[in-house]
Amino acid sequence: MKRVIILGQANVGKTLFTLNFADYLGAKTINLSFQDSQRGSYTRTISVKDAVDLLVSDKPHHTRCLQSAVLQIPWGKGVKHFEIMDSAGLIDGIHENEPIRRAMAQTLATVRQAEMILHIFDCNRIAKQDILHGVAEVDYQVAQFGQLRAGYGVLANKFDLPQAKEGFDKLCQEFPGHCIMPISALYKQGFREVRDFVKRQL
Amino acid sequence: MAKDLNAFRNERILTLVEQGEITICEAFIMMRKSSSPTTKGDVEISREERIAQIQRELSLLIGLKSVKQLIQEIQAFVEIQQRRISVKLNSEPVVLHMIFKGNPGTGKTTVARIIGKLFREMGVLSKGHIIEVERADLVAEYIGQTAQRTREQLRKAYGGILFIDEAYSLARGGEKDFGKESIDTMVKAMEDQRSDLIIILAGYSKPMEDFLQTNPGLNSRFPIAIDFPDYSAFELFKIAEGMLKQRDYQLNKAARRKLFRIIEDMKKKDQSNFGNAREIRNLIEKSIRKQAVRLVKKQQSSRTDLMEISNEDIGEVLEV
Ligand SMILES: Nc1nc2c(ncn2[C@@H]2O[C@H](COP(=O)(O)OP(=O)(O)O)[C@@H](O)[C@H]2O)c(=O)[nH]1
Ligand SMILES: [Mg+2]
Repeated sequence: MKRVIILGQANVGKTLFTLNFADYLGAKTINLSFQDSQRGSYTRTISVKDAVDLLVSDKPHHTRCLQSAVLQIPWGKGVKHFEIMDSAGLIDGIHENEPIRRAMAQTLATVRQAEMILHIFDCNRIAKQDILHGVAEVDYQVAQFGQLRAGYGVLANKFDLPQAKEGFDKLCQEFPGHCIMPISALYKQGFREVRDFVKRQL
Repeated sequence: MAKDLNAFRNERILTLVEQGEITICEAFIMMRKSSSPTTKGDVEISREERIAQIQRELSLLIGLKSVKQLIQEIQAFVEIQQRRISVKLNSEPVVLHMIFKGNPGTGKTTVARIIGKLFREMGVLSKGHIIEVERADLVAEYIGQTAQRTREQLRKAYGGILFIDEAYSLARGGEKDFGKESIDTMVKAMEDQRSDLIIILAGYSKPMEDFLQTNPGLNSRFPIAIDFPDYSAFELFKIAEGMLKQRDYQLNKAARRKLFRIIEDMKKKDQSNFGNAREIRNLIEKSIRKQAVRLVKKQQSSRTDLMEISNEDIGEVLEV
């Protein structure tokens, strides 16, 4: 089964995208796996709707456990399965907080296992701030790394917000030649293109 | 052996990140070096990609599922006819004049604009721009001037799309009206300039259908008819937001999410009756009352408090 990892800076909408995309593809549940220093690692399964309330947040670095779900895409007469994996927000520098650093390392480990990368940006943030902050150094590195793989797509999220178009244009300038898909994770817009993109790589 | 070394190196990268020795950027650079590159083609944006970009733009329009599907079909049809011609097979005539039926604000003009761009990339139209006109732009008050005025607009639209809004108004005055003259002029132009012009007649469904019935010759000349349906859950949600804004209220984040979910559920439950904005208005007015009840219990409330609708203020209409 192929794996897709969702990458991006904090608060760009990785978790909401993961969950709503799972919902869009008809998944009912999400698996959470925790790495706990006391209890070791353990997993829980919860409904997609509960997961949205539990996991989506305005606070950066809210995603500490690893969300994943097995999803299916119609394929001929049947379906094909793949796994989608959310991750912790990527940062440029070195974080002072050990658990966050551990989350970063876990993200990198997951990147290595994944056949596909979906790299998310917040269009609105790109429009509001100058490109240097909306797009971080780490984003350029992810893009370069992604180019080595067949399945690398860019998701221009929060397209529902007023300034998003402007941000989207900037993003296209910044990453020419990449497959850039405008989406709204919140309102499940543009998901069909993402599905088709993933389908092409399966 | 080499594989083991790679695994070891990768493990080491993770440890360094965890210990705060290197940044993520550095980690990515190291990982890039240790993974074998599979070369990808150069980055110039091709016609296919430009078409894909336009398709994305289309797909991002709110709702309009059937419209999008139809456009996909038309695109496929045009593409295949082009390919058939290139291998000298018999091909169908590609007549792309269209009828757009639907209420105002359902995306007709926007879709026309996208179709223009799409056809330009596909080589169907040389420019792909759109000229929007209505009766007054085509029909003159005096004899003999209508044909001239219509031709003027056709000339501007050449290479792109002539988009005629409320097209049925051209038939308003019956046989003797100059609107008829305008239609005749257009039909003639459609025959002369076979390929590099697309005319779209747009307007409300019912009068549009009546118009076509009284002018049966038009049906075959405008073989593509697209219905623009009423609002989807998301559009209705946007309407709700607009209504609140007008009244100087706004939803906080949790409320937005809840309202959207409720609208989604209502729409799912009651497909047929939930087509208009009336229920949305009820929902909004109810939430305004609920907010009032919530705030009146407090001694004081700030300006923000008075404006903010929170998720506890929003409930199903049915529970009234
Ligand atoms: N308006 C809007 N907000 C979004 C969208 N996607 C995510 N958000 C909001 O952005 C914030 C961060 O989302 P989250 O998924 O937790 O981001 P993560 O840190 O990348 O996982 C939350 O408040 C979301 O509700 C979107 O498409 N549109
Ligand atoms: Mg998250």
